[in-house]
Amino acid sequence: MLLRPTTNDLRLIAYNVARMLLISAVAGVVPLLWAVATGELAPAADFLVMIGVFALLGGIGVALKPANDRLDWSHGMVVVALIWLVVPVIGAVPLFLSGNFASWLDAFFDAMSGITTTGLTLAQDIDHMASSMILWRHILHFLGGQGIIIAALSLFSGAGTATLYFGEGRDDRIYPSVRSTSRFIWLVAIVNGIAGILALMLVAYLDLGFGFMRSFFHAATIFMAAFDTGGFAPQSTSIGYYHSAPFEVVIAVLMIAGVMSFGVHFALWRRRSVMGNLETKTILFTFSGTLVLTMIGLAAARAYGSAAGLGRQAFFQVLSAHSGTGFSTIPSSELATWGGLAFGGMTIAMALGGMASSTSGGVKSLRVGLTVKSIASQVKQVLLPEGAVISDRFYQNGPRHLTDEFKQGVMAISLLYVALYLLGGGIGLAAHIPLQNALFESISAAANVGLSVGVTTPAMPDVLKITYAFQMWAGRLEFISVFALVGFLWSLARGK
Amino acid sequence: MMRVATLLFIAVLLVGPPAMAAESVSATMLLESPQTFDGQQVTVAGELIGDYGHRDDGTVWTQLNDDQYAFSPLRDGGRLLGGNVGIGIHGAADLFDGIDPPGRYNRAGPLVIVTGIWRYHDPDRGGETYLEVGSLEIVRAGHPLNESVSTTTLLLGAVLIFAAAGALLLARRR
Repeated sequence: MLLRPTTNDLRLIAYNVARMLLISAVAGVVPLLWAVATGELAPAADFLVMIGVFALLGGIGVALKPANDRLDWSHGMVVVALIWLVVPVIGAVPLFLSGNFASWLDAFFDAMSGITTTGLTLAQDIDHMASSMILWRHILHFLGGQGIIIAALSLFSGAGTATLYFGEGRDDRIYPSVRSTSRFIWLVAIVNGIAGILALMLVAYLDLGFGFMRSFFHAATIFMAAFDTGGFAPQSTSIGYYHSAPFEVVIAVLMIAGVMSFGVHFALWRRRSVMGNLETKTILFTFSGTLVLTMIGLAAARAYGSAAGLGRQAFFQVLSAHSGTGFSTIPSSELATWGGLAFGGMTIAMALGGMASSTSGGVKSLRVGLTVKSIASQVKQVLLPEGAVISDRFYQNGPRHLTDEFKQGVMAISLLYVALYLLGGGIGLAAHIPLQNALFESISAAANVGLSVGVTTPAMPDVLKITYAFQMWAGRLEFISVFALVGFLWSLARGK
Repeated sequence: MMRVATLLFIAVLLVGPPAMAAESVSATMLLESPQTFDGQQVTVAGELIGDYGHRDDGTVWTQLNDDQYAFSPLRDGGRLLGGNVGIGIHGAADLFDGIDPPGRYNRAGPLVIVTGIWRYHDPDRGGETYLEVGSLEIVRAGHPLNESVSTTTLLLGAVLIFAAAGALLLARRR
């Protein structure tokens, strides 16, 4: 029998969502202060409204704290799915009020793209957008990538809060306690942040010739988008704006840092090798493979007149696609002309994605590696004599058994990603978008990449905006929390 | 005022481009058919945007936008008309001597007509695409853009903050 959630369940969910809203309110103070400091008073008022809504709803939710505040798995999953919906809804308020978006849906799309670290945008006239508004879009990347829940777990303890951590699609448990793991994740972000911002600032100031404050602004925003594999950029021409190979090198290093799981960061901090891990081997193989495919495609099309040009542009674009960042050094109109193997390389790179428990999206390298291993094991089973027993093992921070249950889980999530890619592609086709472009944009949204071949514009149909927003949300949460929310709503409506 | 400036700008562009041999094109044309104009001298008009990146080699990199916002900024009563359209431009630093700051949130950048060679996937610059500027003519000086702070928004924000403080106090007491 389907049980209707009790009042205690609803209060528990509201209370936990509210705590995250309060964290978002605090995050909103950063662009508010920046706006005041830089004399952007109209955006400052917009941020005030957003902070007020976050804090008011947060305050009401916290006041609803139930006597029994222990979270079980289903509560945790529903809370996570709701947070990732509610934060962009409220986070879109200043974007909408900024006047750079044609509708609230467009502003919501951008906020969802920001928090899911996707990077697709419907913003108009970014080049005249207030710097505080640009900062807020990048903070959304940081909140989503690092993220809100990790921040909450670092600050609050409580029974069952581990469910929130896993609900966000993370499965690395670096320390025995989730709170310690969350604090480690923040430590990684802070250390990388200081190093990354300093490196970008140095290049911006010394090589690009920007002023001190502009160097800092570009460095801070680009760091958040690169390390959190987001993809928003402070200028409309993305990384192509900078015309600087050294700047691209620093960004590439940050994208690589962003695509690594926090488990890998931990291992590297402890000077342990990660080269034996199945995930590391897989991502090196898939990155090399998709890069070679793309380069062959571009060479065949005689797109570049020099090997250096071909190598630099293909490397940056493929790394951006595989890491799920979505930066580009070429305009979307040019990316749209990449056909054949170049299109294949980029699309596969986007679809496969980065490492599990990193900020990137897509199927993820560990699942890809395990899927290949499972298929190989099936083939071996067929070829060996009947009754032969095959022990499936793999190495990932130590030897592990590949059980049937594990295989099924991996296959199910991988298939769901394929289904999500096809869903967006199909709706794109129905909206009269050519197949290649529809598929590219759908994968870009669902794998939280953010590269565009020009489909994502304010003029695209609302149904496509909603589809891509849904894909970003479901893809980022790796489905389980989304299903839990659907189940919860169903039981709320039909339960007894 | 804006309309007059725009008309004047278009008139200058049509009647007297600085280098008569150059073909007048838009940034959209260059981006949509970049190969067609590779190595050709072209003239583009638009707003200088973002930053002037003064490099050690005595050159400057910046961006030139020729979308509608260049001629009719949102904060000067312009309408939303899609994304930005811009190209990277590169030229000797003395071309930019004394020029107004580039366009950003609180200011419209100078409207200029630039003539130069369109470099598509330049092998000498790692495959970058940009306009190598030979001459630059200022058509309209940059100017501040006024923002209007909405009293209603400000008031609403203040009310919400007070209400939130009340709710949080209530939660703390409970």
